[in-house]
Amino acid sequence: MSVETTTESAPAPKKGTNILLGLTLLGLLLFLWLLLGLSTNAFWSPNNISNLLRQGAMTAILAVGQTFVIITAGIDLSVGAIVGFTSVIVAWLLQAGVPLWAAIILTLLMGVAIGAFHGFGIVRMGLPPFIITLATLTSLRGIGLLITNGSTISINHEGFTNFSRTDFLGVPSLFWMVILVAIPAFVFLHLSRWGRYLFAVGSNAEAARLSGVNVNRTIYLAYILSATCAAFVGLLLASRIGIGNATQAEGWELQAIASSVIGGTSLFGAVGSVHGPLLGAFILATINNGANLLNVNSFWQRIITGLLIIVIVYFDQLRRRGSR
Amino acid sequence: MSSLEELSHRHEDEAKLAESETVPRGAPILELRGLQKKYGLVEALKPATVTFLAGEIHAIVGENGAGKSTLIKLLTGVIRRTAGEVFWCGKPVQLATPTEAIKRGINAVHQEVVLCAHLSVAANMFLGDEMDRYGLMRKGAMERAAQAVLDDLGFLLPAGALLGSLTIGQQQLVATAKAAMRGIRFLIFDEPTAYLTRQESAQLFRLIRRLRDQGVTIVYISHRMEEVFELADRVSVLRDGTHVGTRLISETNDNELIALMINRTIEQIYHKEKVPIGKTIVETKGLSGPGFEDVSLTVRSGEIVGLYGLIGAGRSEFALGLYGRQPLSAGEVFWDGKKVDIRNERDAMELGIALAPESRRDQGLCLNLPIGLNINLPIFKRLSSGLVIRKGDEAANADQQIRNLSIKTPSRRVLASAMSGGNQQKIVIGKWLSHGARLFIFDEPTVGVDVGTKAEIYRLFGELLKKGAGIILISSYLPEVYELSDRLHVFRGGRLVASHDHRAASHEDVLTQAIGI
Ligand SMILES: Nc1ncnc2c1ncn2[C@@H]1O[C@H](COP(=O)(O)OP(=O)(O)OP(=O)(O)O)[C@@H](O)[C@H]1O
Ligand SMILES: [Mg+2]
Repeated sequence: MSVETTTESAPAPKKGTNILLGLTLLGLLLFLWLLLGLSTNAFWSPNNISNLLRQGAMTAILAVGQTFVIITAGIDLSVGAIVGFTSVIVAWLLQAGVPLWAAIILTLLMGVAIGAFHGFGIVRMGLPPFIITLATLTSLRGIGLLITNGSTISINHEGFTNFSRTDFLGVPSLFWMVILVAIPAFVFLHLSRWGRYLFAVGSNAEAARLSGVNVNRTIYLAYILSATCAAFVGLLLASRIGIGNATQAEGWELQAIASSVIGGTSLFGAVGSVHGPLLGAFILATINNGANLLNVNSFWQRIITGLLIIVIVYFDQLRRRGSR
Repeated sequence: MSSLEELSHRHEDEAKLAESETVPRGAPILELRGLQKKYGLVEALKPATVTFLAGEIHAIVGENGAGKSTLIKLLTGVIRRTAGEVFWCGKPVQLATPTEAIKRGINAVHQEVVLCAHLSVAANMFLGDEMDRYGLMRKGAMERAAQAVLDDLGFLLPAGALLGSLTIGQQQLVATAKAAMRGIRFLIFDEPTAYLTRQESAQLFRLIRRLRDQGVTIVYISHRMEEVFELADRVSVLRDGTHVGTRLISETNDNELIALMINRTIEQIYHKEKVPIGKTIVETKGLSGPGFEDVSLTVRSGEIVGLYGLIGAGRSEFALGLYGRQPLSAGEVFWDGKKVDIRNERDAMELGIALAPESRRDQGLCLNLPIGLNINLPIFKRLSSGLVIRKGDEAANADQQIRNLSIKTPSRRVLASAMSGGNQQKIVIGKWLSHGARLFIFDEPTVGVDVGTKAEIYRLFGELLKKGAGIILISSYLPEVYELSDRLHVFRGGRLVASHDHRAASHEDVLTQAIGI
């Protein structure tokens, strides 16, 4: 056939815009840091920076897991509750004298099980993701409170609780955990075929199915990854605060979703990356941290966060629609 | 007064506007001067100057991606022009929003049906223009009025049914009825017959002529030359976004139009490769499932088996059943002579079956993902080592299919949604060409595809056959299945009612068997 393709007038392909958003967010993050560095003395102090990295680390890991689910056009509202719940589980196991390595593995497996249950509810019972994860959100908090009898379990394992305070190469261990999660997550989402399947299922599940994609397995996988990330964060939190408490991490699911969305993930599915939610999480953490340093009323922090979500997502929409 | 005319005079203000803007039959009603549309850097429509005359049927033809749908979207205010002027009844107009276009009496039935699947037929027909009293909807009245219009038009459709329960063709008729109801003066059809059965097409043609006789100007876009010659008074040709000419239908012919469209001639569209027929690949015995019953047929290597029937005759359902998408209730499938149990799509693919489904939007494409990902989706397993994708192979396969099918895109990274209808269809086909299957099921493969590419797709069929594959070709377009099939099966009401060897029966016989009279 003789149809010539007009190569020279190529519209900016998707990949380019993806990187563009990443750079914009990175720019915003650096801008915030610069601004805070200029307006406060404390911001660039080593203490504050490690504090900021620790704060952001946990949301960042949750946001990466959340992003997998949102790419399949789903949502996982239970991640905050899983964090609280698994902090109880690990405290409980350690209290019962289970060795540390076993307690960690069992806690992570708990995350796998919760994620598999979400997959089961969606795939086999046909429940909407919003509903099944909302249901586990409330029940997990309830189960955790039953286990602890409404109070907290303190953790007396020195090695475990010290971990969150240690540094490695001058960077907090908690931040290294983000890298530990982000690298395999990147390989999974952007370089592996299962990553492609997540996008395909989120875009058009029927087309994916007829193309031989195991849609059910893909959905199980997304929710298991999200819940396991949350269980991992549960471990980190327990280490940081030295107790297991089912009411911890209240509202973190919304932080995770917000980070993901700020990072360019579309709630309609099929659009998202790994670096986006990471940047989103640290932007949110920076705003909280900066607001504290500047003594901004914490009520205002919430308002600012809300406005920021609107502004960033609005500009992202404008950019996407730009070619209309 | 018919119910259609009654309804179309519902809005006094619009009627007044219409009265103030009239031209006599045969005078220019809509003039485009240097109308242009760019998407970013892509010039979908180069400055075009076209005049439409009041009361004519004006066909627009052109290859896939030539800019036909773009032109229509500009006229109906769906997208905004980059440059140029539009004159309506001699006065310059903006046509910036769909509401403005509708108020002037310009309406369109778009290529892809844009209605709400979860609402009833009647609710869709009155969408945005509901009948109400004191702010409350008059559901019963709307349903009765809608039914009257449908009956008046001769469309056998229930106004109370959910739109989503209808076939794509029937939905297209609803969209047509909706457009015809709105006091129109200028009505555009973008490939309306692509999903229609023959009778439905006939009903539609009657409606179009009736509207023309009432003085409505009709713009008719189609890839089917015979329809253009049957209906139109004049025809305009677009090529690569350029308006290359307008002809009186009485003063032109197929060959001239095709030459204008693609700048070369095609000797033979239905070119069937002569391939020696080999062993039986698949045999079904008494296969039954949702929508089809007791279907027994065989496909041998090197053979095209055509399935003809009206829409809803159970051909697609049979294909989905064989492919493992729908559970089978009875019957057996033999693959290479061995009985097999196909429980899901993956089992089917494993055996070597490929299915290019009927609806590109619902089943065929991930629209908001890149073309490349769509093409590679069925074969990512082959394109990766372990779980990790080999990027080079991924790109190479996508680019190869884009070239093979001359998909008109600057890059494999462009989203499928930015492609024209016909180019989207080519992606659906391209997905399966590198799958290495032995049985290919193509369900309506050439819907919305231009003449040149049709010929190219048929040539690709020939290549698959030469490699020893067998093909099941499902089509509602009789000339296509008739000319290409080594064996033609006719479906009616979910059953296989007749079978013919290549060209053994006449068109009329096949049609009669499909309709069942
Ligand atoms: N939203 C969009 N963004 C970018 N390019 C687009 C968009 N929509 C259409 N195009 C491009 O504009 C050109 C013209 O498209 P158009 O849909 O008008 O073609 P068409 O003549 O209707 O073709 P077909 O017969 O396949 O329906 C194509 O090259 C197409 O890729
Ligand atoms: Mg089109």
